[in-house]
Amino acid sequence: MEKNILTSKRTGDSCIHVKHSSGLDIYICEMPGFSSVEALFGTKYGSVNTMFKMRDDKEYTVVPEGIAHFLEHKLFENEDCDVFELYAKTGANGNAFTSFDKTCYLFNCSANYQESLKILLDFVQKPYFTQATVDKEQGIIGQEIKMTNDNPEWRVFFNMLRCMYHEHPVKIDIAGTVESIAKIDADLLYKCYYTFYNLNNMVLSIAGNIKADEVLAICDECLRPCEDKGLETVFPDEPDTVVEPEIYEIQPVGAPIFHIGYKCRPCSGQERLKKSMAASLAVSLITDASTDMYKKLLDDGVINSSFGGEVFVGDGYFSVIFSGESASPEIIRDSIKKEAERLINEGINEKDFQRIKKSAYGMSIRELNNVEVVANLMINAHMEGAGPYDSIEVLSEMTSQDVLDFIRSEFDPDKLVMSVVKGE
Amino acid sequence: MKYNRTELAENIGYSSVIDEKFKTSFLTVRFITVLEKETAAANALGISALSSSSKKYDSIAKLNEKLSALYGASLVSFTRKRGDIQILGMSSSWINSRFAIDGEDLDGEMLEIINGCIFDPNAEGCEFEADSFRITKKDLLDRIDAELNNKRGYAISRASEVAFKGEPAENSCYGTKETAEAVSSKDAFAAYKRLLETAQIEIYYISSEENERIPEMFRRAFADVKRAPVKIEFEAKSPVKAEPAEVSDEFDVNQCKMVMNFKSDCTDKYALKYVSTIFGETPVSKLFVNVREKLSLCYYCACRPVTSKGTLMVDSGVEKDNIEKARTEILAQLDEICNGNITDDEIQSAVLSFENALSQIGDTPSSYEAYYFDRFCYGEIMSPAEQLAEYKAVTKERIIEAAKSLKLDSVYLMLNKEAE
Repeated sequence: MEKNILTSKRTGDSCIHVKHSSGLDIYICEMPGFSSVEALFGTKYGSVNTMFKMRDDKEYTVVPEGIAHFLEHKLFENEDCDVFELYAKTGANGNAFTSFDKTCYLFNCSANYQESLKILLDFVQKPYFTQATVDKEQGIIGQEIKMTNDNPEWRVFFNMLRCMYHEHPVKIDIAGTVESIAKIDADLLYKCYYTFYNLNNMVLSIAGNIKADEVLAICDECLRPCEDKGLETVFPDEPDTVVEPEIYEIQPVGAPIFHIGYKCRPCSGQERLKKSMAASLAVSLITDASTDMYKKLLDDGVINSSFGGEVFVGDGYFSVIFSGESASPEIIRDSIKKEAERLINEGINEKDFQRIKKSAYGMSIRELNNVEVVANLMINAHMEGAGPYDSIEVLSEMTSQDVLDFIRSEFDPDKLVMSVVKGE
Repeated sequence: MKYNRTELAENIGYSSVIDEKFKTSFLTVRFITVLEKETAAANALGISALSSSSKKYDSIAKLNEKLSALYGASLVSFTRKRGDIQILGMSSSWINSRFAIDGEDLDGEMLEIINGCIFDPNAEGCEFEADSFRITKKDLLDRIDAELNNKRGYAISRASEVAFKGEPAENSCYGTKETAEAVSSKDAFAAYKRLLETAQIEIYYISSEENERIPEMFRRAFADVKRAPVKIEFEAKSPVKAEPAEVSDEFDVNQCKMVMNFKSDCTDKYALKYVSTIFGETPVSKLFVNVREKLSLCYYCACRPVTSKGTLMVDSGVEKDNIEKARTEILAQLDEICNGNITDDEIQSAVLSFENALSQIGDTPSSYEAYYFDRFCYGEIMSPAEQLAEYKAVTKERIIEAAKSLKLDSVYLMLNKEAE
């Protein structure tokens, strides 16, 4: 078992990283003075992982869309009872989520964390699926899919991804479709489980009112060693172009909403971390309230305070997204194009850049002051191939030239798409 | 942790919570007033205008530029509803000065900004500056329009209108589109002045160390305000209707929503919270286990208390064909509690969930603020540990009595057009 203490030079915060003999990566952050505990046990398996093989397999296995999310739902049932019943005895709040590139099982609590941790580690390592329970779940998830179709924020986002990506499975809904989940059976769930829920592909992240020695003792007791079987996931070749520049959908909404996104080139590891930081600062520069673009859009009533941006990154995809409410999203799209062009031609004002950088630094300090955020930060960083405090270091070294280089290379007007959901 | 509340002036409370683990400071000023259809929008605009600019930082751009230079300090206004009262305010947070790379006095800078926004707003005479106000007003109008974007939230708002018809709580805290559109800059400024003079004001400061400059600043600023506070009633039970009302709307949606409002005249709020928790607040509650999991009647089916109105709301996402079955089953599950069919495990699970929630208070500045404000509204200042003791003293008999006091008052349905 390798044990390392990771420390942030900037803030003095630290955590422990352990490569457990079972194959699991474990991150532990003791946070004195805090009462709560947040734990996430996650696998690098999300909705985009629809094609995979193990080292000894000859062929790739292709699975139905939505199966990672389906598996997450089913893992909450074990042979004897529902996992929620077990958490109810410790007082912890248990939950889980599936995103594009990971599935996480989590709990938060303020007492009995050791018991809750045992429950978490145990049930995630103990799958139990029958055809009867799979059939029942198809009905429940079918309702969830219908509900998300009524959510305009969800629709506008996925419509944008469908405009952006030809082949990459990031364009598919995390829960799949009623038709795709109908193809799921117990055998397929077991196949996916034993492929992705191998501890060599998983991470435990726990923060708050805990003791590292206690956590590790429970891990020693509960983790079942796994052989690393050389998991390989692949994605279809994704053309560099976008599918279509814009899409409109009519829904019963009071305020029309938009997502405008640049399709950027994907990358991984430390390069992804640096590029994400540059992209994030680029978004802040463009959505900053002091820019002429922002002032004009606000004065003209084109945007309101909901206008903002984010960086959306994962295996094989990378995009920069601007979103908000507006009756004239076309004007916003044109303004973003012009602002990017202006930055490319005139460069970035150094004073503005230093201010934006300070703001991002302040945000990092705040994040380290929150148990839930710290636990999420550790697991997310690991899954992106980085350490928990790497981003604050990358930020401190980022220059305006780095951000400008990013804008120059990635803000291609031909790769800008717009999705709008509006009322009739 | 050290909590202390003092009165800076009549009906102006200043509470500080000092907890050395925090890396940030957090300051909130709450204006508490009666929720009224006629004044809700003007109040919302009067307070929102304060957080968008000030005399010194006289545009949204200038204020935001300053805040981002202060390491991304936040300054936001909010408008909320708590039963019959409207709570408006401004909330700010910033990192501790010890983390400032260039050694800035962040506390001093932020106090100056907050003081300027509240007491020296961006106004000429008796009106907010026109451009900033126009933008603030558009923001409110858009927010009112956007309520429909969140179908679950919209259904709950409509259910409140039905449940509390004729009472202040029937109103939205933002007002209606019509009332908001009619508010002029002058009206909003008058509302701001009125709130300064008449609202109950509660100020919360949460940080790693005391800062005497803050109460002093507010004491001095309010010394110039001619205060005439209006008494606020924080609790007003809503009378149950003689016959349950039912209201429905139709939209082009896939999933229908049903919200059932139950009312009670029971004053035992701790027992009512048990009922709500056992009935439908957790994944081991009767509604989750039976209505969702066993019978698959709803994708979600949850209970939430509106304590100040003596009301429990059960909201669900349900297919049209299952509405009647879901309604029958929800009522049957409440009957189970009334008939004493509550297991020791259910009670113990509720106790643990209260313990868990109360023990976590203090892990974020906003949780301290929300807890102590809630205690203030109830007129009973107690620590989370003392509140837990109150919960632990509740017996099964008290829970049954509280459940029996609940009567179905109204049902709101959001139906899909195709299903008709």
